[in-house]
Amino acid sequence: MRKSQHKMCTLLFLILSIVSVCCSMGVMADDAILRIATTNDVKSPAFIGDYTLGLFNHLSNPPLMQMDENGKLIGLLADHYEVSPDNTEWSFVIKDNQFWSDGTPVTADDVAFSIQMYGTSIPNAGWIGETLTDTQVDGNKVTFKFNKPYTNLALEFTSYSILPKHIWESIENPNEFTSTGPYVGAGPYYLDNVDLNAGKVIFKRNPSWKGKISDYDTVEISWFKNEDAAAKALESGVMDTYWKYASSYPYAAIDSLTKTGNFEMLEKPTSGLTFLGFNLKREPMSDPAFREAVSSAINYQELVDISTLGYGKVPNRGFVPPAMDGYIQTKPMEYNLETARKTLDSAGYKDSDGNGIIEAADGKDITLDLLIRNSYAREAELMKEYLEKAGIGVEVRSVEDNTWFEMKDKLDYDITLTRTTPWGMLMHAGWATGYFDSRRTGQGVLHTVDDEVFLKLCDDILSTTDQTLLKEYAKEVQEYYAENLPGIPLYWKNDITPYNKKITGWYSNPLYGIMNEFTFTGVKSSA
Amino acid sequence: MVKIHPAGIFLSQKLLRYLLSFFCILLIVFLLPRMMPGDPVSNLVGEDIYLSQSTIDSLRAAFGLDTPLHEQFIRYCLQIMHGDLGYSYHMHGPVFEILISRAWWTLVYTIPSIIIGAWIGISLGARAGFQSGKWWSDVIASIALVISSTPPYLLSLLALVLFVYHLGLFPFKGFYDTYNLQSILYHLTLPTLVLISFYASRNILIMRGAVLTEKELLYPQFARSLGIPEREILFHHIRKNAIIPLIALIALDFGFLFSGALFIEIVFSLSGMGSLMYDAILARDYPILTGSLLIIAIFVIIANITADIMSLIIDPRIRRSS
Repeated sequence: MRKSQHKMCTLLFLILSIVSVCCSMGVMADDAILRIATTNDVKSPAFIGDYTLGLFNHLSNPPLMQMDENGKLIGLLADHYEVSPDNTEWSFVIKDNQFWSDGTPVTADDVAFSIQMYGTSIPNAGWIGETLTDTQVDGNKVTFKFNKPYTNLALEFTSYSILPKHIWESIENPNEFTSTGPYVGAGPYYLDNVDLNAGKVIFKRNPSWKGKISDYDTVEISWFKNEDAAAKALESGVMDTYWKYASSYPYAAIDSLTKTGNFEMLEKPTSGLTFLGFNLKREPMSDPAFREAVSSAINYQELVDISTLGYGKVPNRGFVPPAMDGYIQTKPMEYNLETARKTLDSAGYKDSDGNGIIEAADGKDITLDLLIRNSYAREAELMKEYLEKAGIGVEVRSVEDNTWFEMKDKLDYDITLTRTTPWGMLMHAGWATGYFDSRRTGQGVLHTVDDEVFLKLCDDILSTTDQTLLKEYAKEVQEYYAENLPGIPLYWKNDITPYNKKITGWYSNPLYGIMNEFTFTGVKSSA
Repeated sequence: MVKIHPAGIFLSQKLLRYLLSFFCILLIVFLLPRMMPGDPVSNLVGEDIYLSQSTIDSLRAAFGLDTPLHEQFIRYCLQIMHGDLGYSYHMHGPVFEILISRAWWTLVYTIPSIIIGAWIGISLGARAGFQSGKWWSDVIASIALVISSTPPYLLSLLALVLFVYHLGLFPFKGFYDTYNLQSILYHLTLPTLVLISFYASRNILIMRGAVLTEKELLYPQFARSLGIPEREILFHHIRKNAIIPLIALIALDFGFLFSGALFIEIVFSLSGMGSLMYDAILARDYPILTGSLLIIAIFVIIANITADIMSLIIDPRIRRSS
């Protein structure tokens, strides 16, 4: 017995020793680093191939274009661009004071090489390979010729990082190329190291950078596999800010972070939103009167209060949030149960057997199949409650993401809940058209609208770069949504970005939030 | 004529059974991911991307998904025979290399957890069961019950909030900050302690229950009547019998040491095997999924063979029946 006690004491001593070593390490801190927490985790050290690394590497390898805080497209690596009247020829003039971190200047050749490489080697840039017919370089100007009119190119080029030709031309398959770094970059920082085991990406200051500089020599992006741990890391002060693509800092964690007194919140309306989508190929969802009734049955204010904890607002019928360029004011969505019941009644949906559920033309109770991804469980329960109060039966089917993609593409549902991302709102013809145009497919899109009026509107938008015309089309699209309700916006929301109040100079744009060059050249420590 | 030892026959039968199991597993691990809804190509290109059908078709061909299932299976078996687990387009690397790098880190903290958890469980559980009337026995049993009945994710999160956030003793995430032994120890101590507490608490309860049953049987009483000291009765007689059900369980722990660590990896943001498999399921990364499941199956088989051998050594009844 005494021998065992001795063993236990030894074990206890070992544990205590480790704990004391930990305590001594815990106090070591380095304040010269800008630390960013995220829940977008890097899965592979593939500079181009990894989705998350592709978002982060805009900092080291700037794309041609970027958005300003109002959503307007402005040059980043490009000084300006020109487009031919038929929208098939795009020329970008490169800024002349840009240098790679190895000291060589950024040239139009680098841009031409990068865009061509994306088209041939990167699966999700396959559209470039399919449409780009010729690339010409003339001094610091690069011209791309396409086999069809392309009006969204300046927007598309906000997402493709430009690479140094002299490094990447010798890499056989860039998409599959992996290295923990360093990578030569032309931004204010270059990517020094990707460490999957430490869970962080480290950027170091570009020694050849000629522009404004921040107070930080190093930017460290640490990824967490759960939001709770990320929130606690911020509260404890080991992180300076939080960023997640197309998402806010968790609303439920804002109060406790504010209470620390060390953080301030950057609150910006986002163009992403949550909406109720209809399978327009099925009845009664194809009936505009039915959709109108559904829209009146939803308690929008309660959804705003519960889902955004007040960091959102009741949306308008025009679907598109005010954060988007081209937004117009339309009537707000209105909750009125009585109106919902009356609309159903006058459209012929009656509860003749008195069981509380209305019947379709064939006399059967209308019970809608509400297909959702697991993450929408709370909203789905509320939706069921709202619709049942109006006399519409609902059965919730909760599935994981991939099953949802497959069932949604097979149109195996009546209604569904999903969200838009800032990029998604801009894709295709913009203003959320990419989510509804029946000619499109893709993981997040519903492709349910095949109304000729809507499709022509999309085609019109896609055939012009005239800003006046585009404004007019944007208005028409929003009026179309307001009148036809192909999807019902449930709430608009604000993205909250907490930041260490000792650091100033944060800048946020509607596409990538604080992850932009203005932030990384402007942040200053006031400590 | 060569006389084969009964234990040899027993083991040969078991090995044959495990070999057959392996072939069944090979088929199952190939089919299972492919039967799940979802498309690996769509997952690869992302949510808001539009590609023409011809581009999607060429990607499908590059993944080897354009041929009938039976042809894919034959190709997969041939690859396995050459020690090739395939290539992951999601992770951008050969599956074998990815699995090795991730498995190594998971093993670094799961193996010590299982071993220490087993040792604590057997030692404390045996004592708690043997002296069940004492206050400390009840305290140990109660603590073990509370820990083993708390959802693993919740307990890990509580440990993170208490020891990391409030006390600041450990870091929030990762296997290390800078790659050195001190940093690795600093980062892995808390995840390991949490995992140990899970394994130990479960083992304590099982061992305690088994000892409680064993000590009421006639043989301990007979030993007492012979004047054998209590300590010797416990460690030389009762523990030997009580440990048998636990051996199979601990063997299974080794079998599931990758998947069982998922909750730890999510809470402490560790990129190990658990999270690799979880991500592979979400992304429908067939090569990683198939490779991981195959490795787990091999671990389970090896663990079971080891458990069989250990039972054969410890339990004379098995030797006699074989």
